[in-house]
Amino acid sequence: MPAFLVFVSACASIPPRVGELQAGQAPIELDDTPFFPQRQFQCGPAALATALTSSGADVDLQALVDRVYLPGKQGSLQVEMLAATRTAGRIPYLIDGRLQVLWAELSAGRPIVVLQNLGVVAIPRWHFAVVVGIDTERDVVILRSGTDRRRVTGLRTFLRTWRRSDFWGFVILRPSELPTAVDDVRYLKAVAALENAGRSEEAATAWRTALQAWPNNPVALFGLGNAALARGDNLAAEALFRRMLEAEPSSAAARNNLAMALARQARYEEALREIGIALQANRDPALDRELQHTKTLITNMSRQRASDTQAEP
Amino acid sequence: MKFVRLRTTLLHLVSLAITCTGFSQVSYAGVIDTAYLVDQESRAASLARLEVMLASEKVAGQLESFGVDSALIAERIRGLSDSELLTLEKEMDRQVAAGDALSLVGAVFLVLLILELVGVTDIFKSI
Repeated sequence: MPAFLVFVSACASIPPRVGELQAGQAPIELDDTPFFPQRQFQCGPAALATALTSSGADVDLQALVDRVYLPGKQGSLQVEMLAATRTAGRIPYLIDGRLQVLWAELSAGRPIVVLQNLGVVAIPRWHFAVVVGIDTERDVVILRSGTDRRRVTGLRTFLRTWRRSDFWGFVILRPSELPTAVDDVRYLKAVAALENAGRSEEAATAWRTALQAWPNNPVALFGLGNAALARGDNLAAEALFRRMLEAEPSSAAARNNLAMALARQARYEEALREIGIALQANRDPALDRELQHTKTLITNMSRQRASDTQAEP
Repeated sequence: MKFVRLRTTLLHLVSLAITCTGFSQVSYAGVIDTAYLVDQESRAASLARLEVMLASEKVAGQLESFGVDSALIAERIRGLSDSELLTLEKEMDRQVAAGDALSLVGAVFLVLLILELVGVTDIFKSI
């Protein structure tokens, strides 16, 4: 019993680094942020529609209900909110949950999707809302929330409800944007997931954005190479993988994809030579399987090509 | 010789299945995803193609059991990264689904707690 009470009351304290704002930061509010009032249990799609529209994406609330609402759970999962952002061609970027970061993102014109627990630990009431303003003079946060176009919540209450999700929140980036307090690994991971979702054109733009911030970043070069492969531009892909190999000569993954770019230009001998070097340099057993698979694939491509040539009169 | 050929055919069938499945995150045969370079978690996931394929089928089943229209499932799964898929497969039941619904179990618990505190019940006492 007492242990349980301690657990409940522990939620009341907020770490200072989360709740602090730098002195002299002016109140900010993104008045133009659109509003999609939620229907029952559908705060997820509504919050997502608000943030996606504000990032310039053309979205339809019903389509988002179809993408993130789980009827059997009467709600939406966090990862599905991220997934639906990607299928809309945007990058979901998880923020460090701090007021300072919220303020900086708002200053850059981006509202933030947050997960709150409006209930208590024993009776949770999980809710997605969108932070559109912080009034540093009145100590309030302004949200697009539920059926309220402009819900004003005291800073302390907001932080308490946000704390229960470990201050979980994300911003929606256009492929040409970087977040204000950018963590390079987290950003590159977010773009790789966009590539994974099949949005290679938007991913290409994002890799270029990354290369502007971090010239010759190997992950971004590799990603841009993959985007070139995806649109069938094998020459550009070849050049990008070679550039990455200059930065990291031992990368077996880059050599594997370079081999594919060569094989698709029917340069099978060069391709097999690259795979040979990759197999020698590689130390990752899981990648070894992949390299062997690529080798078989290229060998088959070249045999197929040879028999096609023979069959011609 | 015959065995080798059989094994090769099987291998091809498996790669074909992996490349062709609607849920697969694998972009192109022979090409390694950028996720492989990003972090340990993504690295493992991006090479575990068979596991990812099986996970997406399991997640598809879970989504269907939670009432998602089967025509929408492939599209929903497409946006998930490989590591998210593998996590979701294991933890979907435990994940928070935010939708403002009040938990009845929690409400009952709180009522019991209050009853206990005011001395009406003695339900939490260990016997």
